Amino acid sequence: MNKLSPFFASVVCCLHLSTFAQGVEPASKEELEELKSVVEGERESAMEYRGYVDALRKIKISGYMQTQFRLTDLNGGTAQFSGGNFPANTNKMFQVRRARLKIAYDNVLTQFVVELDAIQTGVTMKDAYLSVIEPWTQSFGFQMGVFYRPFGYEMSFSSGSRETPEQSRMYQTLFPGERDLGVKLFYSPQIGPFSFLRAELGIFNGSGPASNEFDNFKDVIGQVVTQFPLDELNAAVDLGLSGYLGNVRNATKFLWTNGESAPGTKGFVLDSSATNLGDGAPRRYVGLDVQLYYDVPVLGGLVVRGEYITGRQPGTSTAPTPAGPNGTSQTTISPAAQATGPVYQRDFAGWYVNLVQNIGNDNQVIVKYDVYDPNTFVTATDFVSGNNLSVADIKYSTLGFGFIHHWDGNVKFVFYYEIPKNEKLTSSTIAGTSPLAPFVGDVKDNVFTFRVQYKF
Amino acid sequence: MIYKLGVFSLLLFGFGSLVLGQEVITVKGSDTMVILAQRWAERYMAAHPEVAVQVTGGGSGTGISALINGTTDVCNASRPMKNSERDKLKQRFGTRGIEIKCAQDGLSLYVNEANPISELTMQQIKDVYTGKIGNWKDVGGPNERLILYSRENNSGTYVYFKDNVLLGEDFAPTAQNMPGTAAVVNAVAKDKWGIGYGGAAYGKGIREVKVKKDAVSPGYTPTFENIKSGNYPIARYLYMYVKNRPAGTMKEYIDWILGDEGQKIVSEVGYFPIR
Repeated sequence: MNKLSPFFASVVCCLHLSTFAQGVEPASKEELEELKSVVEGERESAMEYRGYVDALRKIKISGYMQTQFRLTDLNGGTAQFSGGNFPANTNKMFQVRRARLKIAYDNVLTQFVVELDAIQTGVTMKDAYLSVIEPWTQSFGFQMGVFYRPFGYEMSFSSGSRETPEQSRMYQTLFPGERDLGVKLFYSPQIGPFSFLRAELGIFNGSGPASNEFDNFKDVIGQVVTQFPLDELNAAVDLGLSGYLGNVRNATKFLWTNGESAPGTKGFVLDSSATNLGDGAPRRYVGLDVQLYYDVPVLGGLVVRGEYITGRQPGTSTAPTPAGPNGTSQTTISPAAQATGPVYQRDFAGWYVNLVQNIGNDNQVIVKYDVYDPNTFVTATDFVSGNNLSVADIKYSTLGFGFIHHWDGNVKFVFYYEIPKNEKLTSSTIAGTSPLAPFVGDVKDNVFTFRVQYKF
Repeated sequence: MIYKLGVFSLLLFGFGSLVLGQEVITVKGSDTMVILAQRWAERYMAAHPEVAVQVTGGGSGTGISALINGTTDVCNASRPMKNSERDKLKQRFGTRGIEIKCAQDGLSLYVNEANPISELTMQQIKDVYTGKIGNWKDVGGPNERLILYSRENNSGTYVYFKDNVLLGEDFAPTAQNMPGTAAVVNAVAKDKWGIGYGGAAYGKGIREVKVKKDAVSPGYTPTFENIKSGNYPIARYLYMYVKNRPAGTMKEYIDWILGDEGQKIVSEVGYFPIR
């Protein structure tokens, strides 16, 4: 009834005014006063409702769904970095890759955000954080909860906006899940002379988004990003520098590091000092990222993104299917739970170049090349029996190319083909029964992805 | 397999964007600029019947979002784009967007015609809108409660006023948010002790207050001369944003807006030409 009263009052007012305007029966002063009080009352009601509407406008709901069909070369194909492995006896499958729902309460200087991902295998929490910005310059603030780690460019580039279906191999290896639990301080002026600059520094559990903390080591992550608009050239350059300073607890006294296991044989050497037990194995990354933008006449925006990360990564796996809680990856992933086996330290390097050419408003062509070498100390010829090298040490390069059509502001179609190439091991040194045997040649793991995304 | 898929893609989508017939330019954004944009569109379409210019308001923030989402060709904004908005445009279209200054505007302070106040300093305006002053007697008027009218936070006028007059401070909670500058003007016209702000083009029928930079400076109204000379302290540019460097029909339309005829309309509507 309350909601309808403004409407009825408006009708009454209009009738009164209409009668008055037609001069049929001039309103008395009392009637005008009455009318005025009705209008005043309704105006107050409208203001009250506007208050409710203003409060509701602070709640922002957004999301996107990515459904896809994928095709690979072999049944049970390995496509861990292209959206997940294929089940046995399967080389083609439909998937709901992501179905995200984000709810934010945005009070301008304070924010509450929760994001969920609901797919065929279950529902997981992606983001859950609050942020506070100081009111004086509105440039400094902090964020706490679970959110993107402030490192590099591709990490925080939303998968709903990213052109390629998945992140590059190095990001998926070094930062599985992209997010972590912690707190970060940030400086991000939106206007003024320093608006070209953004800096973030945070401290995190280091165990990723999907688990609770399991050691007392906390990881420090930070980055500085600068933007150089070149409006006269219809171009822009963005540069970022990132660092990661962390440790992973060693649950054993065994620490393997790069070295010569025998004279002239590169691999790992073992340190069995008792002090290694419970000690922190260093996790150190440094990264540089560059994005170039150029508005190509007639065609549209051209983007070239490049990123390089190098450092030291503590891992656990030395076999394709290692035992223990970390045995989910053939690579040296960051730990999602306390490792039960010895720690293997590897010096790694990875980079990618990604080119996106817009064609008009609706179409995009993509080419991406990424390289990830999980162990820069060794090459293909170093894989011999007895030096503990495994599939976790094999270098990969991946060429991907594709086409995107934006159907409208919500829907896009993605066609993407990815060709991973592993470094080929020397057949004479690899036993036919070794897990490394398939890597004597290039493993058949090309993947075609057709994805449809709806975003709102 | 790749070849077939490529051909299929091109056939299905590559040419799907071609539109036959009249060329359409969509314009969305600032409510402050909506009348100006409509006038431009009407005159231009009268002279160029092969082009249809569709204009809608919604606020600068809404227009910028539409530009980022690809649902408008041109965004009108009464404030510059923020860095975070530029970043989204870069992610989606690979460009920072092209900024076109198309007019100047002096943000007017309106009071009811019956209100005796004739001028206010920038500090007084700030204190009034942040709630530090709540009575007209504190700025030299009668002992009456100040009624504040403001804009919604998706409005570029709101953002500009907050950043440049309130210097980033929050509006008083008693400020009533109106859906457009015309609504602010209507409210002040009906409210003897109301005060509002908005574009000069909407200032008909109510009285503009002279604005002083400080207590000892003379007060100025938002005239072309006062804005050009820098004497009027609440002046701003009005912008058009497009994703890419304009070409073809779009370029012709923008060139026309920046030319003599388009800038003449700027003056007719009550804003100030950029040259």
